[in-house]
Amino acid sequence: MFRGGGGCCPPMDLMRSETMQLVQVIIPAESARLAVSNLGDLGLVQFKDLNADKSPFQRTYAAQIKRCGEMTRKMHFFKEQMSKAAILTSSTKFSGAPLEIDDLEIKLGEFETELIEVNTNNGKLQRTYNELVEYNVLLQKTGEFFYSAQRSATQQQSEIVADQFGDSSLESPLMEQEMVADPLKQVKLGFLSGLVPKQKAMAFERILFRATRGNMLLQQESVDEPVTDPQSGEKVVKNSFVIFYSGERAKSKIVKICDAFGANRYPFPEDLAKQLHTIQEVQDALHRATTDSNSQVASIFQILSTQESPPTYFQTNKFTSSFQGVVDAYGIAKYQEANPGLFTIVTFPFLFAVMFGDWGHGICLLLSALYLIIREKKLASQKLNDIVEIMFGGRYVILMMSLFSIYTGLIYNEFFSVPFELFGKSAYACRDPSCGDATTEGLLKVRQVYPFGVDPVWHGSRSELPFLNSLKMKMSILLGLTQMNLGIMLSFFNAKFFKNTINVWYQFVPRLIFLNSLFGYLSILIIIKWCTGSKADLYHVMIYMFLSPTDDIGENQLFPGQKIVQPLFLKKQHEQRHQGQHYTMLQATEESVTQLGGHHENSHLHDEFEFSEVFIHQLIHTIEFVLGAVSNTASYLRLWALSLAHSELSTVFYDKVLLLAWGYNNIIILVLGVTVFLFATIGVLLSMETLSAFLHALRLHWVEFQDKFYEGDGYKFEPFAFSSIIEEED
Amino acid sequence: MGFLVTSGIFLLAGIVGCLFSLLCCNRGPSTNLFHLTLVSTATVCCWMMWAIVYLAQMKPLINPILSGE
Repeated sequence: MFRGGGGCCPPMDLMRSETMQLVQVIIPAESARLAVSNLGDLGLVQFKDLNADKSPFQRTYAAQIKRCGEMTRKMHFFKEQMSKAAILTSSTKFSGAPLEIDDLEIKLGEFETELIEVNTNNGKLQRTYNELVEYNVLLQKTGEFFYSAQRSATQQQSEIVADQFGDSSLESPLMEQEMVADPLKQVKLGFLSGLVPKQKAMAFERILFRATRGNMLLQQESVDEPVTDPQSGEKVVKNSFVIFYSGERAKSKIVKICDAFGANRYPFPEDLAKQLHTIQEVQDALHRATTDSNSQVASIFQILSTQESPPTYFQTNKFTSSFQGVVDAYGIAKYQEANPGLFTIVTFPFLFAVMFGDWGHGICLLLSALYLIIREKKLASQKLNDIVEIMFGGRYVILMMSLFSIYTGLIYNEFFSVPFELFGKSAYACRDPSCGDATTEGLLKVRQVYPFGVDPVWHGSRSELPFLNSLKMKMSILLGLTQMNLGIMLSFFNAKFFKNTINVWYQFVPRLIFLNSLFGYLSILIIIKWCTGSKADLYHVMIYMFLSPTDDIGENQLFPGQKIVQPLFLKKQHEQRHQGQHYTMLQATEESVTQLGGHHENSHLHDEFEFSEVFIHQLIHTIEFVLGAVSNTASYLRLWALSLAHSELSTVFYDKVLLLAWGYNNIIILVLGVTVFLFATIGVLLSMETLSAFLHALRLHWVEFQDKFYEGDGYKFEPFAFSSIIEEED
Repeated sequence: MGFLVTSGIFLLAGIVGCLFSLLCCNRGPSTNLFHLTLVSTATVCCWMMWAIVYLAQMKPLINPILSGE
């Protein structure tokens, strides 16, 4: 059984997956179908396949399933045909009247063959109808031609009538008589008063064709009266096109099929609030099945306990589902472990924005996201092409990304790479009024620090890159360390939740101390250096901390007592590494105890316990973490790299395209320059850079953040629900 | 001084954001906690970014040297 919830923190949405129960249901045969049908309407239950090791042919009801499959195929075919003919279908809840499967099967078979036949007839008739229309137009213009044609037509008619209508039908004698009686008379409308049998439709068509009258058209319209279909007012127009009454008879048959299987769809409210409530609902559904089927015995509903891990389900709305999808793409969360999706909603757009920072581009992204969101309902019902569909699915992600990008753009002070003095005057000014040495010695800091973001004076200066690089690299390390610490804290919460005290002391604590004594210390040094303005070289400090910890630090001293503190950190790390090794031994023994305890469960998914496997597993994890600490921290430097690339590209496009074009004072070159700038901005910066930053932010989340705590080896909860099956098939 | 004042402004903005989310979208304790987590994470991220950039410029070791143009 899954280790029950820890009571450390109050419950929070999306933090952990919903609780699940394993139940066993035994249903008497007479109420089986109704019970399953009711459960399908509810959509709260996922069925486990107890015959998973049997092939499809060995299972008990294989033949019936095949028959049902055939019938489903036929019903799909009907549905397709109906949608082609633009007849509305609706689905109703099956009212539980027991239906004989055999009768249904036979009926469906009959309908299918008829419908196929009707379709082929329809095709042929369409063609001949078009020919008739053309002929009609021709005839209306030439009267003489009409007479001679009619004479020959009537002659041919009598011939054909003699040939083809050997078999007696009610209509053909009628036609024959009329023909014989009045060969020279024009083909009358009354000729068509009767019903033309479907089989004779071709011949009938041919006769009329030779008679060269357009009356057939009128007949069609009058006969093809709108079927009494309550839902479709406009079907009239379309049906008049379609086949004549041979079609009408078949058409009325199709309508009957519609009534029989057509059903109105009522979305059932999904109420997953309390587990007890849902269990109650499921039991009610089973009760209803029992009473409806007049069964003597009630279904048995029994809650089981098991060692297996249940499926994972997160309740998401349209906003959170796209972020949860991003996390799920890496791996579905294990049952009830901490969900990174919760923090991803904020940290993913934030890290994207750190790499994208430009509030001009951010506004462009915002506009596109708003467009997608405002036309949400309309776009959802349309069929979009692949790329637009992906963008539409992630519209809320793009919205968050754009909002954060505007913020970081304001901090980096870049509007299409142009800085502005939005928050006050720059902190720098010339040393003397003539600004003589501005290009050699540089400016002096005369005022308070620029209050929000990067000082606008830096852009375009010669020492811009050294300054910004140092700033962004250190920022990347600080942000990365914060996110990794968050990951380690989440692993602590997981350990508490699953009541895994070993993990707390021998995994969480060593990791925390190791990471922080190395890179946490570096971060503190960075902050101290910024605050004091010391000229200490941090590379030097860190490297010599390891090489010769007791040497005199001298000019690299950042705070008093540093000489004493550093060796202590080293000692701590050393201890932790060894503790990690001891952990592997302890973990192995603890695991063996818990595994033996659960041996009597007859679950076949119970893993066999291997000491050597656990040992190697933990050793690998220890080594991975130690090496990973350095590589993961360095990995966060991509935040710096991409942000540099973005700002440099942006600068190049602005300086070398727009300003260059502006300098020529020629309207044509200006227009050309603006066009090139526009295309370059949209193609390179807004599309390629967005994808690039998206991808790298994703990688940072999937590897560096989730590695610290995420197992991700669960499976999704897929309930048996009619509503989702119908949606799938649409 | 400017650092502490502006940090205070960020803190205030965060608190206002939390109250706003509680007022407008009050949907049960677990959903409220979820919204609070999101708002506070966003506030912390934004504050960190601003604070880093601010601190880096407080006592700079290099100064801007304008290019010749």
